[in-house]
Amino acid sequence: MREIFEKALKNKKNSADYIEIRTEKKETTTIHFQGKKLEKIDCSQQTGGNVRVLVKGGWGFVSFNHFDDLEEKVREAIEVASLIGKEESKLAIISPVVEIINRELDKDFRQISLREKKDLIENYNNIIMKSNLLIQSSNVIYTDRFSTTYFANSEGSYIEQEKPFLSARFTAIARGEGDNVQLASESVGTTRGFKIMERISTKAQKAAFRAVNLLKAQPVEGGEYTVILDQTLGGVFIHEAFGHLSEADFLYEDERMSGLMKLGKKFGSPKLNVVDDGSIPDLLGSAKYDDEGVRTKKNYLIKDGILAGRLHSRETAVKMGEGPTGNARALNYRFKPIVRMTNTYIENGEIPFKDLLSGIKKGIYAKDCYGGMTTFEMFTFSAGEGFMIRNGEIAEPVKDVVLSGNLFATLLNIEGVGNDLKMIESGGGCGKAGQGPLPVSFGSPHLRIKKVVVGGK
Amino acid sequence: MEKLLQQACKEVESAELFRVKSKTVPVNFEVNRLKSIDISESEGKALRVINKGRIGFSSSTGSEGFDLIVEKAAATSEFGSEASFDFPEEAKRSKKIKINIYDKKVEDKSIEEMVKIGEGIIEKVGDFNRRLRCDVTIVKNCNEIEYHNSRGGNFSYSKTAIAYSMMVQKIKNQDMLMIYSSIESGKDNLDVEELTSEIIENLEWAEKIVPVESWKMPVIFTPKAALVLILPIISGLNGKMVLKKISPLAAQKNKKLWSDLLTLYSDGTIDFAAGSAPFDDEGVEMKRVPLVEKGEIKNFYYDLQTAGRAGVESTGNGLRASSQSEPVPSISNLVMEEGKISFSEMIKDISEGIIIDQVLGLGQGNIISGAFSNNVQLGYKIENGKIVGRVKDVMIAGNAIEELKNIAALGNKAKWIEGKYKFPHIYLKSLPVSAKK
Repeated sequence: MREIFEKALKNKKNSADYIEIRTEKKETTTIHFQGKKLEKIDCSQQTGGNVRVLVKGGWGFVSFNHFDDLEEKVREAIEVASLIGKEESKLAIISPVVEIINRELDKDFRQISLREKKDLIENYNNIIMKSNLLIQSSNVIYTDRFSTTYFANSEGSYIEQEKPFLSARFTAIARGEGDNVQLASESVGTTRGFKIMERISTKAQKAAFRAVNLLKAQPVEGGEYTVILDQTLGGVFIHEAFGHLSEADFLYEDERMSGLMKLGKKFGSPKLNVVDDGSIPDLLGSAKYDDEGVRTKKNYLIKDGILAGRLHSRETAVKMGEGPTGNARALNYRFKPIVRMTNTYIENGEIPFKDLLSGIKKGIYAKDCYGGMTTFEMFTFSAGEGFMIRNGEIAEPVKDVVLSGNLFATLLNIEGVGNDLKMIESGGGCGKAGQGPLPVSFGSPHLRIKKVVVGGK
Repeated sequence: MEKLLQQACKEVESAELFRVKSKTVPVNFEVNRLKSIDISESEGKALRVINKGRIGFSSSTGSEGFDLIVEKAAATSEFGSEASFDFPEEAKRSKKIKINIYDKKVEDKSIEEMVKIGEGIIEKVGDFNRRLRCDVTIVKNCNEIEYHNSRGGNFSYSKTAIAYSMMVQKIKNQDMLMIYSSIESGKDNLDVEELTSEIIENLEWAEKIVPVESWKMPVIFTPKAALVLILPIISGLNGKMVLKKISPLAAQKNKKLWSDLLTLYSDGTIDFAAGSAPFDDEGVEMKRVPLVEKGEIKNFYYDLQTAGRAGVESTGNGLRASSQSEPVPSISNLVMEEGKISFSEMIKDISEGIIIDQVLGLGQGNIISGAFSNNVQLGYKIENGKIVGRVKDVMIAGNAIEELKNIAALGNKAKWIEGKYKFPHIYLKSLPVSAKK
């Protein structure tokens, strides 16, 4: 690949300020059981690539499946970029890297037969289907993907990275009386290999158990509550509501937005610390280099309650006068790298879970997550499981718990940070600008937040 | 392609090959300036086989050898679902022979022209207020679809699409107002004015923030927000959900469930709509399928495999999410019939209520049960028949299957959303609204 890239980059370096080529090869296997039946089994291959060029501050981007004529693609990208460019190109300076990164797996899933994978997933599906008479159906989806990305730029970098990914998602659907249909999901994601997939039958059991329990739950009464978020929901909250606002591509050309996200501003109590770190080995959001060839690292977003940093691409970093952070990521070869999170979490505080509960007369313990969404300062997310808290004790289950609010107010309303941080590696991922699901992980200790609006009847 | 099929049939009993060649060119403006131009070309092949009565599937992009897909498809067929259908022997249209979905003017539209359109849109909104952030995308797309199966069925067509979309953002202290709007067509006939006038109207209404009390109150969903109520219905009418008895609507066919006003149909034959085509993605003729008539469920929608299992005919709704996917029951275009009341008459009718235009969390949560719960990202308060301002920190919650029994009125001017949904304003007598104190 390196020679093909070098040939395409040669002679073109004078017509653009910056050129990069990224190609990708990947193999994917999907196995999907629904109810008692195998719904889908699919093995696919993809190859594709793109060229991205910068001319006088304007970006041109061309993506394709056939790369027999890379030089032509480079020419096309320069042509469209030239239509835009009217100023000076600026990119944060990084040193060129030449590196080939291979991954060792704890059981290489490419060596496992399709039959063995199918049998394993079928077994998990049976666990759900046979767990309780009220279980009506299931959705069990397994995916493995081995992708290799090849990256070169006009500054002399050449990086090959292997990126394995496995996920399993267990959804149990329970039906009670009348139209009472409830579902619960559990999922696992990993980059480490097939071995983890062989040891997750408790997740299947848990999904079934929760779906059946939800049948008994009453809808939550809407209103304002003190809420305790579990590690998953806390992680989703910090990713969705806060993390996205730290992505500098939203900020750097927008004075008013960057005013709101001014470094040094108070965002929470001194106990609140938020980190994004793509360099933690082998988590879902990890990689040694991002998709611009920048080395990933640990970045504090909030330190002691104060806004301390944000996430950058090479372009946003230089334009905001800050250092690159290694957060330019692309979903695949069809997309440009944009500023994304990697592994985002709230660091441990000191309060044990029991003490977080104490003193809450009427509140909600919200666990797990169906999904979340945010538009700048407004966020909303649905808990997968909810309980009332009455007089400091966890009480009856409730359903349809949807939390919503204003990020800035909610961060300031975090009254307690637990001491039980857990990183969540779920099979889902993050969506932004049409690029999703991108593998990420997130985590948090238990959090206690006052004055959260919960939707409901 | 026929040669490739012959090659596949050496390994398996019957096979179908679906190919998409696509070119998409988005021109993006960010913060009122031209930011990027992309050219995205793609080509993908999907091979579905039936072997010893079971379905196998594989796909690829790029120039990887066809042998590998055949091998993988054959391998997956060993465990695949039992096939309850055969590939159609011919792809033929009986009604409405010609469906217009291709416009050469879209394919030929120059990038320079697209840049000018984007600049024009930003200029128009800028004339209203210079201090707004505008992000605009002008995108054109051309798809070539080709289908062949080993029983003789085959078709091919080209399809175009063009869309203008815009996001306007206004920030004041810690309040961020965001308004989205977009228009889409298969034909080069889009009207910039339609896009900008909607945005400007919303900006005027949104100027002032007004408080709301938590209460059950009358609510109007604009066409843009109608999916809050309709997504659960789309999911419940899906033949697969019905077959598996997951859908709460499974036993409700030919029963009167909703307001007389509610009539919904799936229609893949509408000229230049985003979901239209002569055939679905497995060679079945696209049709107008009545789903709900006067509040009564008339049909569920099916692909070949699900229909075969359910013992009914495919409704021509076997669509693929991409060239890498198998067909599943999906909506082509969905049309809700209009009512008789204008949006302004609805407003006049309400002494205290809200208008919902954009929500957060669409499709989130336990959709199939009908439940929805959303943050109102853009909504307006009505007092004594007049819009008095924008609401903030407000949630709505309910169950779409229940709420659609209480439609007070439907608007008389339906609007296309995302190029494939056509909805009027939906006026509900009452809906729980919770607001932050």
